[in-house]
Amino acid sequence: MTESTESPDLQRQSGLTRLKEGTYGGLFAACAAVTLLTTVAIFATLLYDAVVFFSEVPVIEFLTSTSWSPNPRGGGQSFGIVPLVIGTITVTITAAFIALPVGTLTAIYLSEYATPNARSILKPLLEILAGIPTVVYGYFALVYITPALKATLFPEMSTFNALSAALMVGIMTIPMVSSISEDAMSAVPDDLRQAGYGLGATKFEVSTGIVVPASISGIASSYILAVSRAIGETMIVVVAMGAQARMPAVQEAFGVPFINPADVLLESGMTITVAMVQIANGDLTGGTIPYDSMFALGLTLFVVTLVMNVLSDIIAQRYREEY
Amino acid sequence: MATDTDTGTASAEGFGEVSRVRGIIFEYLSLGASVLGIFALAVLLVYVTIDAFDLTNASPEWLLTYFLTLVVPFLAFCLYSANDRELTRRAAGVLGGGLVAVAVVFTAIEAFVTQIPRLSWQLAYLFVVVFPLTGYVTYVGSSGRVGGVGFGLVGRLIGGTAIGLALAVLFLVFDARLWFLAYTLGIVPALASYAYGRFRERPGASTAAVPVGIVGVLVAVFLRPVIDTYPTTAFIYLWTLAIPIAAAGALVVGARGSRTEAIAAGGVPLALATVVGLFGGILGLGVGGPNALLVIAVAGVPTAVYLQRVFDAGDGVIGLGLPVLLVVGALVGALVVEAFGFPAPDPWIDGSFITEAPSRTPADAGLYPAIVGSVIIIAMVAVLSFLLGVGTSVFLEEYTANSGIVGALTRLLQINIANLAAIPSVVYGLLGLGLFANLLGLGYGTAVTVSLTLSLLILPITIISAQEAIRSVPDDLRRGSDAMGATRWQTTKNVVLPEAFPGILTGTILALGRAIGETAPLIMVGAATTVFSAPNSLFDKYSAMPMQIYAWAGFPQADFRYGVVAAGVITLLIILVGMNGTAILLRNRAERGT
Amino acid sequence: MSNTESSDSLITTDVETGSDEHAVAPDRTAVAARDLNVYYGDEQAIDDVSMEIPENRVTALIGPSGCGKSTFLRCINRMNDMIDICRVEGDVEFGGKNVYDADVDPVALRRKIGMVFQKPNPFPKSIRDNVAYGLKIQGFDGDVDARVKESLKGAALWDEVKDQLDSSGLELSGGQQQRLCIARAIAPDPEVILMDEPTSALDPVAASKIEDLIDDLAEEYTVIIVTHNMQQAARISDRTAVFLTGGRLVEYDDTTKIFEDPEEQRVEDYITGKFG
Repeated sequence: MTESTESPDLQRQSGLTRLKEGTYGGLFAACAAVTLLTTVAIFATLLYDAVVFFSEVPVIEFLTSTSWSPNPRGGGQSFGIVPLVIGTITVTITAAFIALPVGTLTAIYLSEYATPNARSILKPLLEILAGIPTVVYGYFALVYITPALKATLFPEMSTFNALSAALMVGIMTIPMVSSISEDAMSAVPDDLRQAGYGLGATKFEVSTGIVVPASISGIASSYILAVSRAIGETMIVVVAMGAQARMPAVQEAFGVPFINPADVLLESGMTITVAMVQIANGDLTGGTIPYDSMFALGLTLFVVTLVMNVLSDIIAQRYREEY
Repeated sequence: MATDTDTGTASAEGFGEVSRVRGIIFEYLSLGASVLGIFALAVLLVYVTIDAFDLTNASPEWLLTYFLTLVVPFLAFCLYSANDRELTRRAAGVLGGGLVAVAVVFTAIEAFVTQIPRLSWQLAYLFVVVFPLTGYVTYVGSSGRVGGVGFGLVGRLIGGTAIGLALAVLFLVFDARLWFLAYTLGIVPALASYAYGRFRERPGASTAAVPVGIVGVLVAVFLRPVIDTYPTTAFIYLWTLAIPIAAAGALVVGARGSRTEAIAAGGVPLALATVVGLFGGILGLGVGGPNALLVIAVAGVPTAVYLQRVFDAGDGVIGLGLPVLLVVGALVGALVVEAFGFPAPDPWIDGSFITEAPSRTPADAGLYPAIVGSVIIIAMVAVLSFLLGVGTSVFLEEYTANSGIVGALTRLLQINIANLAAIPSVVYGLLGLGLFANLLGLGYGTAVTVSLTLSLLILPITIISAQEAIRSVPDDLRRGSDAMGATRWQTTKNVVLPEAFPGILTGTILALGRAIGETAPLIMVGAATTVFSAPNSLFDKYSAMPMQIYAWAGFPQADFRYGVVAAGVITLLIILVGMNGTAILLRNRAERGT
Repeated sequence: MSNTESSDSLITTDVETGSDEHAVAPDRTAVAARDLNVYYGDEQAIDDVSMEIPENRVTALIGPSGCGKSTFLRCINRMNDMIDICRVEGDVEFGGKNVYDADVDPVALRRKIGMVFQKPNPFPKSIRDNVAYGLKIQGFDGDVDARVKESLKGAALWDEVKDQLDSSGLELSGGQQQRLCIARAIAPDPEVILMDEPTSALDPVAASKIEDLIDDLAEEYTVIIVTHNMQQAARISDRTAVFLTGGRLVEYDDTTKIFEDPEEQRVEDYITGKFG
């Protein structure tokens, strides 16, 4: 106080002002903390009931049993994730067969061939694919795709089947592959392209021989994200794939066991997400094994997608460092 | 990786030629891939539109009538606005040439390849030629002055009506009387105190506004159970919504026009709303009641403000005829169809579909309770995710450092947000079930549980887009404000947030579009697949549009599968398009502004 | 280009007119640096600088790019605090008080020191709100409009904008925007005005208007200006400090002395355009 008589008053501001500043800072920090708490809460919620579940059903049985029938009335209860994993993998791989090549080609077209005008039209249109509610895709698959496939290619197809659902999942994930891959391709310095042209390479050779290899880690990271999205996709498969947890028949040809793709694709099946929804439609009050099994399935899904995201992040980080 | 060089004999000079065949094939292959998904979606949307509007039963005469009374005048309006001879010629060419081309190709396919289900060549012409052309011409026409005025007016009428209806829906569950008290005792005194401080140069009074408001609202909450006589709902809407909106409109006009114009812009819609709302029933206008009052006020005031601006500028006034053109076109079309007895389709999506409850019989089924549920849920999600999203992004962009422990914490938060964005929505559903519904006891499928769950679900998207908006504010401005001795909050409030606001709003609306279509988390927290009456409390069991679609999709009857659900899907998509369109308009306007 | 054409006669005449106006000595000290060292990470930006800047004078800081003159300027109102990796050692005294003392609030400090930046950075608000910004955040409770008018007049902008106070500050030309920024800086009546190359983004006509203005400002304020342009320093400043590479203050004296008869050969080389 004595100082302030001669030198200008540069002291900390009055209590009210500081309180105001602190309050706002604190409020914003609290908002940010909510995001962290969400992660913790998800993990804690899943873990809590999953632990209860695994005290009833051993982890080994959960992971290896080939039968999923949570309903106690229809014969014995059994919680084996294997048929669900088969269903999930069927859908994911089929969807990947569409989304990955189509998405990559789209990214190449957008980044290397399209005029700025074409790009400004195509990119928002592609974003629409990701913006359509998934229940609508599911409805499309059930009501339009399945009858169309049945009438033309696969007359023996069942009403609920994995193929139609997977086709829609594939279309939905195209923009995920294309936008991230395109970002990676656009990040490739023009010098590299110029070098290629300088050596007499054609545009095709520059695109496939220089740009794609140079952005391969970005492309890979987009693949992983798209696959993780397909694994977690729920409504399309719930509506269009039905809910039959079944093990495909293993056939044998020339001594090699194999599964007929038609057996899994054209028939109804069940993914991890469908199994969760099916239980949720029946019983939500808690305290039963089926209820807890939802959380065990959710935990599995959470861990798998988290690992994939972290993986994709690490891979993507690499390409960002390169340039 | 050698090039496929030709032998080189073709060229006399000896440079040779490099084959481009592979390259050209590849280019078209990748172009095909780019449009594959879009094309597939477009085909599906055509079918769902045909089903929802029962267009298979539309006779060619019916289509032709509306084509002539509605589509052609609209196209003419847009072309007049674009004022481009070349465009007009090309549009006419496409309309005429497309007609012949589609008819020929379609007939050829039907004759030689395969029967195309539920499509006629007229419908194919409609979807392949007329709609895309209309879209393009609308786009070009809206950038002309006349078109801009016309679409601006139509947009305000439709948008205002939608917001007015949404407000009316909110009052189904939020207590209008409590709102009346809070407004009268909290908001009005706070505004008065702020205005007094502002205009009489008394900063103290402005600062007091917030505490005054808070005290007033608390008093209102306390008094709500004590007081038991209240004005009618219509009067509450008039006093708490219509009058302030009209006053705001008058202020906006007053800032740039004369006092008379200001009074007219606020007063005319207010008077109209009051007459229709309070006396509509008595006067036998066919409409009336509080909701009409609300809608007229919310749609009317912005319209009046806009009209004043257009007349003031005096440019493109003729564009104001667009709504008249459309209404008259529709009426004439209906008259002609009636007079000649053309077979008309019976669309699944119509007035009663929007206003009726679900039913076991397809013809009676409606979406009303689900729409109400969606509106209430989205309103709460909007508030929650906007506040949390802005708070978090301001914290991450303005309040943290890049280095040290704080920097490490910031990076951790950032990675965490990116990971949250990629967690499957069904897992968020489990969070809502385990935490909000069971542990906190907020109830299965209640508006509160559902909104909290969906808010957390879209929070990462909101945050990431808000961060981008905040980051795009030039650093110059921040440094300028800091150098004036502004505290961090002052810089944020006065410089950063006003600049970033349009971007933040755009991102939030786009994220809300995601929330409105989410189904899996709703199933997990126990939202109802079907409710038969609109909810009247936040703790009722809710349904939502996607839940209802999910439920109907499981019905075996063809009328449900191909009719009712299609109508539901179209309703949902129209709302989505409306929201995203608004977001994009906002973004474009903000980009043009800077 | 201007560096090379620095004919001696031109500079000398300008210096004379410049120094005639306020040739009063000795002065009270407004800002003083004592053993100031600034580091960006491991890199030293200011190397042991001590200097006293007189009140109500224009002091120019000149030197080649990267010599630390802008860094020095930003030490005075602690704008360097915004840079995470920046570390400051030593004292900067403002009105006899070290601004790096623990009890000093940088926000309170900046309210007493105005700053004008290289690129005009008016806020996307109306002209009136731009000028009133500092008053608003400081809770000024007098007649805001009068202060706005006074400040705009002080920045020689009033006549050009008095009919459009409610239009956006961004609609002005570059030179007008910079004068608006000066009006914004002087509105809360600071004691010192820091200018970081205020004319380098402007055309010559606009720049000369700002120069005239700076001359007037020195009647009321202490002006510290960083500039690349040596003629400008010679024209408008009373005192000149020459920084050379490595953040060292090589010479600091009356402007006339620096430009006519510098002590150091390096300074002469720099001023005559042999390097820099």
